[in-house]
Order: sequence, then C-alpha cells, then structure tokens
Amino acid sequence: MSVITEVAPQHWQSACSALLDQKMRFLGLYASHAEGALALRAMFHEQAEPVALVPGERRDGDGERCRVRPFAEVLCEPDSGYRPGCSSSPFRVLTCSSAEGSFGSIVHRVPAAVWDEREAHDLYGVELKGHEPMRALVAHPAALNDWTVPVTGQGTNQVVVGPIHAGVIESGHFRFHAVGERILNLDLRLFYKHRGLERAAQGASLERAIKIIQRACATDAVSNSLAYAQACEELLGLWPTKALALQRTLLVELERLYSHLNDIGAICAGIGFAPGAMAFSSMKERALRVNHALSGHRYLFDTIAVGHATRLASEKAEAAAEELEALRSDAMRAWREVLFNASVQNRLKGTGTLPRKIAQRLGAVGPAARGSGLKLDARTFSARLCYEGFVPLLPEDPTGDVASRMAARAAELPATFDMLKELLEHVAHPPALLAGTEETAPCSPIGVGVVEGPRGQSVCAVESDGETIERVHLRSGSYANWPSLAYCTAGNLLGDFPLINKSFELCYACVDR
Amino acid sequence: MSSQDLRALVGLAIALVGGAILSPLLPGLIQTLKARLQGRVGPSIFQPYRELRRLWGKSVVSPQSTTILYRLAPSVSAAALLCAVAVVPVMAGEGSFPLGHDALVLLGLLALSRFALAVASWDTGSGFSLMSASRDLTFSVFVEALILIDITLAALPVHSTDLSAMVAGTAGISGWGGPVRWCALGAFFLVVVAETGRQPVDNPDTHLELTMIHEGPLLEYAGRDLAMLQWSSAARHWVILALAAEIFLPHAAGPLESLVCLVIWLVVLCAGLALAETWQAKMRLLMVPRLLVVGSVLAVTGVVTFYMGARL
Repeated sequence: MSVITEVAPQHWQSACSALLDQKMRFLGLYASHAEGALALRAMFHEQAEPVALVPGERRDGDGERCRVRPFAEVLCEPDSGYRPGCSSSPFRVLTCSSAEGSFGSIVHRVPAAVWDEREAHDLYGVELKGHEPMRALVAHPAALNDWTVPVTGQGTNQVVVGPIHAGVIESGHFRFHAVGERILNLDLRLFYKHRGLERAAQGASLERAIKIIQRACATDAVSNSLAYAQACEELLGLWPTKALALQRTLLVELERLYSHLNDIGAICAGIGFAPGAMAFSSMKERALRVNHALSGHRYLFDTIAVGHATRLASEKAEAAAEELEALRSDAMRAWREVLFNASVQNRLKGTGTLPRKIAQRLGAVGPAARGSGLKLDARTFSARLCYEGFVPLLPEDPTGDVASRMAARAAELPATFDMLKELLEHVAHPPALLAGTEETAPCSPIGVGVVEGPRGQSVCAVESDGETIERVHLRSGSYANWPSLAYCTAGNLLGDFPLINKSFELCYACVDR
Repeated sequence: MSSQDLRALVGLAIALVGGAILSPLLPGLIQTLKARLQGRVGPSIFQPYRELRRLWGKSVVSPQSTTILYRLAPSVSAAALLCAVAVVPVMAGEGSFPLGHDALVLLGLLALSRFALAVASWDTGSGFSLMSASRDLTFSVFVEALILIDITLAALPVHSTDLSAMVAGTAGISGWGGPVRWCALGAFFLVVVAETGRQPVDNPDTHLELTMIHEGPLLEYAGRDLAMLQWSSAARHWVILALAAEIFLPHAAGPLESLVCLVIWLVVLCAGLALAETWQAKMRLLMVPRLLVVGSVLAVTGVVTFYMGARL
C-alpha cells in the first residue's frame, strides 16, 4: 500500500520539493473535499534509475527482443498472496487540507503539474498561490486573455481550428498564433465533452465505478480501468494471483498492439501516404477481431474487474496466436516499407521536435517520452503485472521528432508480439480469483494504480472506505502529454500540425472525462 | 463551308465533348486506380458523375457575409475552364476557329479561374479558405512561370504561340533525338502534378483544414456551386493532361492517329498520377516552390539548348 503523508498547508511546497529531491517522480495532483475542507493530493513514485539517457550511452539489453521473464516460470512460482505492509509499494501520496482552500503552487518545481493545478482551480476552486497567470483549463471563459498566451508583433495572425472539424475528430479547439505558415504558439482548449465521470463515480460501489472509469475512453479502456482496479486492490490490501496478473498483462498488451498499429497508420495518413495508412488500418482491424474473439469486445470493454478475473475465451487462444503470428510478419513488412520510403521520412524527420529536457520537465510519458530519449515506462515498476525484467524500448535515434515517436511505437511492436505469443499459451488457465485476505476492511484510505497504456501511463487514485467511492481521479497518458504537444508545435508549419498531432495521437475523451 | 472550317468544327466538338463531358472520367480513373494500388476496391470511375448529379440537385447555400464576388466565382471559374477546353486543340491539323488556340489565352483563362476563387475566399473571410488561397497563389507564381517557359520551349521551333501550330510542329518522333523535347517533357510533368493538385504537391483526399491547398477555397461552397467547382477541377485535369499529350509527349501527325494517341496518353498519365500519389507522401509545404523551380531550371536549360543547337 502506498505511503500517505499528511502535511500542513504551509509545508506543502517544501514537502513536494523534498520528495522530488529524493528522486521521486511526479505522477499527478488532484483536489478533493475532505471533511468540509479542500484537500490537495500529490502522487509520486520512486524511480529505480535515472530516466534520461546519456547521449551515446549503450542501452542495456540491446539486441534482445523479449526482455521480460518467461511467463511459464512466473506461473510455476507459488502465489505469495497477501503482501502486508507498505515496503512493496513504490507510491507516495502527499495530502494537505486547508479550510480556506488556499495552497502554494508547486508548478515552478514541477512544470508537469501545470494542467493538474489549473484543473483543481477550475473544478474545485482551489487557490494556488504563485501559479501566475492562472489560465482557465476546464472552464471556458469568453475572453481570450483568460485562457490564451498573448502574442503581439507585426504580421502575427490567429488561425482557429475546431472544436468542430472537417473530419471525424473529437472536440478540441486549437488556437494558433502564426506568422505566415510558421506557428509561434498554440493554445489548446479541450474539455468540451466534460462528462463529470469522476463526480458520477462518487458514492458508487467499487465494483460499479469501474464501468464509469472505463467509459472515460475506448482506446485506453484496459489501461484506465486496470489502473483503477489496481488502485482499489491496493486500497483493499489485495494482491493478484499469478494467473490473474498474466491475464491482465495479456489484455494490456492486446490494447497496446491495436493502438500502436492504429497510430502508425494515422501518421501515414497525416502525410497522405495512403499505402501505409491502408496497410496499418487493416492490420488494426485484424487486431480488433482478435480482441473480439478473445474477450467478446473489440475494444476490450469490461475485461477488467476489481478483485477478480473475467472470462476470456481460452478455446480461441490458439487461433488468436496464429493470427497474431501472421499479423506480426505483415506488420514488420509494412513497417519496413514506411521506413525506407524517402518521401515519408523526409516529412517526419525534424518535424515537431520535443527535446529530451523539455519532455522531462513537462512530464511527457509513453511513446512521446521514449521518442525523446527518456527511459520511462511504467512497465518497469508494474509489480502487479508480469513485467519482471522489463527494460524500456527506445527507438534507434531518439531525437524527439515525429519520426522517433513513430519509431518508438514500432520498436515496441516486436516485444509486444513476443509477449502476446507467450501469454496466449497461458490464457487457458482457469480464471483466477485474487489471492489475499478474506476481510475487505480497507488497508489505506487512498489507493494508487499506475499502468503503462499505449499512450503512456494511466494513473488512478481512489479514496474509499472500502465500500463506496469518496473520490476517484484518473490521469491518463493523454492528459500528461497534451502540454508537450503544445510545446513542440511552436516553430513548425501550420500544415504540419495535423502530423504532429497524430504522432502523439492523444485522446480527448479521457482528458475531458 | 470549306473543309478547313469543317475540320475546325469537328475539332471543337471533340474538344467540348472530351473536356466538358468526359473530363470527370479522369479524376474518376485516378481514384479507382489509386484504390486498387492501395489494396482497396474503391469507387467506380463514374463516381465523379454521381457526385456531380447529387450536388447539382441541391440548392445553393451561401454564407451571410458574402457578396456577389462569392456567388459569381463558381460560374466564372467554370466559364473560364470551358473556354480553356475549347482553346486546347485535340487533333493535329485542326483548323482555327474564332477564339483561336493561343497559349497565352489559355494561361490567362487558367489564371482567371484561380483568381475568381481567391477573391471568393477573401470574400468569405474564412481562415482556411484564405490560407489555402494564399498558398495557391504563392505556388501559382512558380507554376505560371514554369508553364510559360515550357510553352515557350514548344513555341520556339514553330515561331508561334498558337497551340495548334505547336501540335503540328511537335508531331512525329524527329525532335526526340535532341535534349530540348526531353527538357520540355520533364518540366511539364511538374506542371501536371501542380496544376491538377495531386501529390506530392497537394493531397486531394485530405480533410485536414490546415494542410489544404486546392480544397480550401471550396470549403464554404455547397450544392450547384460546388458541382461547378468540381467540374472545373475535372476540366482542369483535361486541359493540362491534353496539353501534355498533344504537345509534350510524342504524338502522331494525322487527325485520327493523334486522337488515338490522346486517349492512350490520357490513360497512361492518369495511371502515372495514381502511381505517384500512391508511392509519394505529400511534400513539406515550403518545399513545393523548390520543386517547381527545379522544373523551371529544366525548361530554361531546354531553351538554352535550343538556341545553342540552332547556332551550331
């Protein structure tokens, strides 16, 4: 269970700084109501090794393909069962409550918290001293000065895109300041489809709330709901059996597979390279059909439950493994076609560059972070899943541009295929219940779950008495990456923005929640 | 009526039938071939006709803030293209009719169509239309220079800017031994790609507002206006591809033989465009002028070679 530390409002900033000084990594921040007062919670986790790669450093495990411990070996071990104590949890939660709802901002120490603080301000009315100017994020004020960065100068003009687009695209409003074709600054306005899911889950049972959390977004359904389930299990003091961990690992990797295939295809579509787009979208469709055969749902809905497994069609596992084997060779061939097409690479190289330092500062996660050379992957500390020995896979040349974000996904595909092939051999095991305690008394008031989804880590925090939800907070990989996207758009051409956008392929829905 | 006049009438009739009625087959053919190359079934080559019929039956909707400039643009563009279709000769040895076949008139008509759309985008005040129109006009500086030099290259041997004279002058295979014709052909390929709005210059399939060039000014139009603009785009394909086939590619001297050549070259050119569009991604926007300058340099090289050849 995670270590929860209560601090006084005047020590909030120094306590956060102290954790960061201990090489803790910021996971997210949210506001909550606690006994008539407003509370802020910040989540951190211990990182085992520095995430930034020294230029020229040889990566360990180069040349290997599958880096995780063999699953057969994992299954042979006896279940360790309930793990009491907090020594095994890598998470730290700082909480702080104040009757006036006034706190010091930590955004200068943790720039990655900028959206979190703006959201806490807009939704909970938290006052964050030192966060200047506090621009609106969830709220949509009419005055431009209230939410955009002012840009002045000769020949600057504004180009406004959305929230209604010419294609089938979610609602998002982009306001570019540009000189001719060159973008100076991008202001984002999302939250058009804010459904208040977190609020809707309050008061619901732990079992029911997973439905609400899962519906934040379809393409991250598994990673979001698994982060939630893990948070609940941590709160309840449960630990998954090996068989359950294997099944969940399988589901996360299935989600990653179709998502990466889709994202590579989307980048091809963004530059009008139709053969690549067609090949990868047809492969995505095949992956979705595998999902459907195994779980009964193309986007793997309702496959994660709190405290127990769901049934997977184990009789289809063999056929699925065969299909994935065929898919693998097709995907690798299509990837080579994309890689060796000069006109494609010409468009991708040097477009939308996110430097490593900025990625680290803004808290980029997932393929976006790895494309910028950050050795960052929540799978390295996912003790509740089967990723023992996992090493983050980085592209050959992590320069942080569109090409390397695309290569980061392609680099993960072989490992995902390897893992899926092996995992499917074990899906035949009967659905397993959680090993653990009989008692359902909560071990801790706040549980945290982190899962590496296709777009980066999904972080979920659950506050509960063990029966009903008091507060749940979901911070998906997309949420973490939007500020990085806005940053690396500046300096590029207007016509390249759709491409840069697609190289992140961020989800609007799980940000809007 | 003399046989010369009769020939002129027949030529005009064929040009109008081809340019006005059959031209939607060209983008249709490109779309179908592209779909096949990408492993899709794709629409039939008659799909543009269905589109035109559907749009023609719909009423016109105009933005409130627009003026007569906006409403006239589709008609002006379509009329300019219709005249352009008449100006491009389709048969060798065709007599001249009152409008003539002057190459500069053709360039003027193409520019008029572009100008009408740019003015209409300015009239709507829509950001994307304006942005696309501005890109189109920027590129047109390079494209028009390129066409002009290239046409000059074809006009030099016959000492006339009359297109039918050029068709007659370039017929046969005698000129292909020297570098001049090859330079002219190479340069005109870039004209074809740029003027038809195909990849790598523009992506006709895109729905991304920020990347549009030729699609942008069409964004606000609907119904019959849009039908006229889509027809204009198809007619533009005809004009440019017919010009390529009749002047810049090898063709026969006789009237019937040259017609057969025209049909064959149109199909081959469409296939070539489909192929290029499949294997090339869209180019970075600011690289397009460079590509077009390469074409101009090629055409100028042709002109220089022509004069050097004449002196030697």
